[in-house]
Amino acid sequence: MNFVTFDASYVNKLRAGDAPTEQHFVTYFSELILLKLRPRLRRPEQIEDVKQETFSRALSLIRSDGGLRHAERLGPLVNSICNNVLMEQYRTSSRVEALEDEIAERLVETRPNALNMVISNDTRDLVRHILDDLNERDRSLLRAVFLEERDKDEVCTELGVDRDYLRVLLHRAKGSFRAMYSKRADDRKYH
Amino acid sequence: MNHQDAVQEMAVERYLLGELTGASLDNFEEHLFECSECTADVKSGATFIDAARTELGIPRRVTAPRVESARRWTSWFTSPWILGPALAACLLVLSFQTFVLQPRMKLEVARVQTPTVLNPLVLANAGARGDSMPEIIAPEHGSFVISLDVPTTGGFSSYQCSLYAPDGSLVWQTTISPEQARDALLINVPTDKTKEGLNTFLIQGLPTGGSSSGTLEDLARYRFRVKIQK
Repeated sequence: MNFVTFDASYVNKLRAGDAPTEQHFVTYFSELILLKLRPRLRRPEQIEDVKQETFSRALSLIRSDGGLRHAERLGPLVNSICNNVLMEQYRTSSRVEALEDEIAERLVETRPNALNMVISNDTRDLVRHILDDLNERDRSLLRAVFLEERDKDEVCTELGVDRDYLRVLLHRAKGSFRAMYSKRADDRKYH
Repeated sequence: MNHQDAVQEMAVERYLLGELTGASLDNFEEHLFECSECTADVKSGATFIDAARTELGIPRRVTAPRVESARRWTSWFTSPWILGPALAACLLVLSFQTFVLQPRMKLEVARVQTPTVLNPLVLANAGARGDSMPEIIAPEHGSFVISLDVPTTGGFSSYQCSLYAPDGSLVWQTTISPEQARDALLINVPTDKTKEGLNTFLIQGLPTGGSSSGTLEDLARYRFRVKIQK
């Protein structure tokens, strides 16, 4: 995992239209915007529209005179713009979709989304390894919550655990995955 | 919200589980967009969940129990790091026995089993009256025979024969009865037990009525020279 710092130099490069920096900016925030919008918007094209509009406005603002005074506020700025665009999207959609709710329900995207599509076999191997190490109860818990999307309280009660247990289970699984992923990336880097 | 708050509140996990709403969701997202650590955490968590969703939908494969989990303390015997050198050592010992020890033992056994004529070194009265010093050429790793008389003057319950090396150290010792002492004694001496040079045979008698730890009386002292044939 690469940790980035948004400083004046980074913002200046964006302002100057530096292609690699712009590419990094779009890649870095695309995933975050996608994660932010996934639970809020039904259709992938809506997510894409909001994302594109967010980037367009963010870059325009950064390149305008006195657009961004504090470089470290770049992230919150993108988030704020995304919130505004999302609100506009809600307003537009509500006018159109109020009458089409029933149709929209049927058009909900069920195929793997953009993030799913980039999950490599390698990543699946790591996740399978982590899941295989879980006991049956923990596997059932994750299956019910993530795959069957059942009510979390109901599942926790059924399996005799509380919500904190679910959070800790996710925390540990995520930590293992991150550690294994980093190790494998390092191995590839040096071999 | 700062990073410390996010960690303490397990905000990343709550976010991924869809547990944050309203102001807490807004606060975390604002922090998320400026914190690369939380961003990396959320991204890896989301990737894990998406991949897990796929994997959990696949029926679990039944696999044989893993041997690693049942490893016992004896398993280190089968480690190649132990097994390799151990096998090499066994091979070395086996080769040494086959090519060195066994031929030598066969030779020794054959020599022992072959009838030979013994020419004993007769020490009766030798050197007692200034005669020339008797000499024996003893085969290395073999043995030689000494013939000597025990002066049986009577009044002794047993006799002690002692062989001393040229440096005066006691090499061998035995006790004989008066009946054994009646005839000439034939003593088979392994060459390895003696040392080259002037050896001495001392005959002592234990007076009748004396205890086994009583004072011994010197009866005869035989000297002879040993030369080892190599």
